[in-house]
Amino acid sequence: MNTYETLFVIKPTLTEEEIRTQITKVKEVLSKEGGQLLGIDEMGMRKLAYPVQKNDRGYYTVLFYKAEGKLISELERNLRINEDIIKFLTVKYTNTKELKQFNKLVEAANKAAPAQESTTKETEATEESKTAEA
Amino acid sequence: MAERRKFKKRYCKYCEQKVDFIDYKDLASLKFSLSERFKIMPRRLTGNCKRHQELVTVAIKRARQTALIPYIVDRKNVVENPFELIK
Repeated sequence: MNTYETLFVIKPTLTEEEIRTQITKVKEVLSKEGGQLLGIDEMGMRKLAYPVQKNDRGYYTVLFYKAEGKLISELERNLRINEDIIKFLTVKYTNTKELKQFNKLVEAANKAAPAQESTTKETEATEESKTAEA
Repeated sequence: MAERRKFKKRYCKYCEQKVDFIDYKDLASLKFSLSERFKIMPRRLTGNCKRHQELVTVAIKRARQTALIPYIVDRKNVVENPFELIK
């Protein structure tokens, strides 16, 4: 089992619900292939530094997980097929120093998760909290 | 030359803070090694040690891939608020 982190960017044109379903889709692939999800960091809607497929913004999500190496090719294949995902990056954490940092990141993500939803702006916040309750 | 003077004192800031790992998502830690036009600053100007320069370089390149920071800033490719990202 190796530790990995995958960041992916979802198209800004989707509605809040559609973004949720996209994230769960990726999570399903993870669980189906035997990955062990440790934490999710949703960085939310951000401005992209340069246009990607004519999009100026994107919804950033980071998954922290433990999995076998085989899973990555399957996960990336799924991300590549999906037209609503415009960018992704997988990083492997190997040595002890990196792993220490990885655990810190996971902790921060888990702590931030409930707090983040209340601080996100305007309508997004209300919608997010609704989905969280449901 | 003004930039050169800014970095006159030569010591590695990352060593000082005992940084072991630089996260590509943490733009605040990358900011120091980026120029105004989002180029990677050379070691001779920042005073970074070799080990940390390598860590920073990888992190910056990853941040570029994920559209967190731009590859280039020029007249055609203007960032509306260039310092908004690395403030």
